[in-house]
Amino acid sequence: MNKTLKTASSDNEHEGASELAPLFKPPREKFLSLRGTVNSTQSIFLGFIGVISLFAFWEISHHLTPEHQQKFLPSVTQVTSKLYYLFTEKGYIVDVAKSVYRIYLSFFVACLVAIPLGVLMGSFIKMRALFNPTVGGLRYLPAASFVPLLLVYLGPTDSAKMALLFLGCVFFLVALILDNIEAVPRALIESAQTMGASRFHIVFRVTFRSAAPQILDSMRNMIAVSWTYLVIAEIVAATDGIGAVMMRGARFLHVDVIMGGILTIGVLGVLTDVSFRIAAHFLFPHTRARR
Amino acid sequence: MSLLKKNYHSDRQKALKAGQKEGKFPLAVNRVRKEYLNGERIAVDDMSLNIREHEVTAMIGPSGCGKTTILRLMAGLEFPTRGNVESFGLPIDGPAPERGLVFQAYTSFPWLTVIENVQHGVAIQGYSKVEQRERAEHYLELVHLTDFANAYPDELSGGMKQRVAIARALAQDPNILLLDEPFGALDAQVTWEMEEMVVEICEDTDKTIVLVTHDIQEAIYLADRIIFFTRQPGRIKEDISMEFKKGRRFKKKEDLLTEPGYVEMEKHLYTLMREEIQGPLS
Repeated sequence: MNKTLKTASSDNEHEGASELAPLFKPPREKFLSLRGTVNSTQSIFLGFIGVISLFAFWEISHHLTPEHQQKFLPSVTQVTSKLYYLFTEKGYIVDVAKSVYRIYLSFFVACLVAIPLGVLMGSFIKMRALFNPTVGGLRYLPAASFVPLLLVYLGPTDSAKMALLFLGCVFFLVALILDNIEAVPRALIESAQTMGASRFHIVFRVTFRSAAPQILDSMRNMIAVSWTYLVIAEIVAATDGIGAVMMRGARFLHVDVIMGGILTIGVLGVLTDVSFRIAAHFLFPHTRARR
Repeated sequence: MSLLKKNYHSDRQKALKAGQKEGKFPLAVNRVRKEYLNGERIAVDDMSLNIREHEVTAMIGPSGCGKTTILRLMAGLEFPTRGNVESFGLPIDGPAPERGLVFQAYTSFPWLTVIENVQHGVAIQGYSKVEQRERAEHYLELVHLTDFANAYPDELSGGMKQRVAIARALAQDPNILLLDEPFGALDAQVTWEMEEMVVEICEDTDKTIVLVTHDIQEAIYLADRIIFFTRQPGRIKEDISMEFKKGRRFKKKEDLLTEPGYVEMEKHLYTLMREEIQGPLS
């Protein structure tokens, strides 16, 4: 029996073991292969093409527009040169800084409220029962509907604008963080309990720590919403900020200024997104392998 | 707050030690009934069971027989509807480090490295930093994970993750180790390796172990005693001592297969299992 086994295996042995089998050439991957693979060079290149096409589409549309209407759709160069003019001559950087300051401060305060509340509600079912109907309901109120109220209470101040930005994202943020905390596997909490961990320890060192990457992701998504509220916030009694500059542009039909503002917000949004991703990369090294 | 908790723990530890000296059972299930959904479903009914010290007890039975329920009651993660569960004569009033539990689901903390995971469990017990490190290293060695001490759990295979969980549970120095289908999610070959590792651990630590499994071979290989459960509601169908092993532990699983009495035992358990699977639901 042993003998037959041995002869069978010797059939598979190579005579000249020094030579390796030739390299296998897999079929070339099609551009639209299902799911497929993409390396970082390709991914950057393709993303670049996407951006270029958008600007190309814009530029071509401008040239196809009848001449007397072209001022309503300025070209890419007109908008960028206008932006350059705004930055160099009009102190636009101050407006940009002001808007960034409003977004980040209001969002910081929103996190200061939403994270503890979300963690509390996600960790203790009775806290959830206490707050959820209220927070859930408030989510359906459009933030813009608070504008008149904020004007009466706070006047045309910075606080009014930041309060609007705060209201625009805080309730959604609570709901998202609540979901993040509740998504922590029950077994993780129970295993901490069988180690003798206190409730305090479990809430902060297990549940919160476990949900932290997802919470940062929720924050990244909600700060994007904050950016979308920026113009609404700065329309009201606008004196400074990107939104105010855009509204002034609208009054004098300076479409290039409006489009410059949109472009600025877009770029700042992308920068914010990237900075959150970089933060996640350094704060949560354990998630790197998964991404 | 932490001080109060420590006092509670040390008082309890003293009482447990006293109970142990008096020869009380590490775990005693007394006429336990556990209902779910307001009595619509009875997981376990009128069950009494004593777990003996330094023994490996396997609880086995068909799906939905309440074996995991009993283990969760022993861990203190749930409470019985009727009756009570005691550890060394003390009623179980919640989860505690003296009863370590390894879950079927992976429960390593993904944000901590392997050694930090084991240390985390030790740190909760209030050991000093140096002791934490020493204990963590010792138990990682026991489960053959020293080379992966600085890896994150997500970089490990399923078997390695379960070894982290076992090391973590052992490092908290429990009186009793509860294993809830710990190899249920692993493939056959890894399960085999893990089973042999558990035998090694039994040799090295002489812990009292309660194992929940649905794998007949695993139960025979690891256990000194098998409790066979009936299905819905869970009752004890048979309490079987693995006498044919004569108290020996087999480092290699295949050595058990030729042991006189093994085949009969396996056949007997298969018969019991068939009766339960085919029998009507009561």
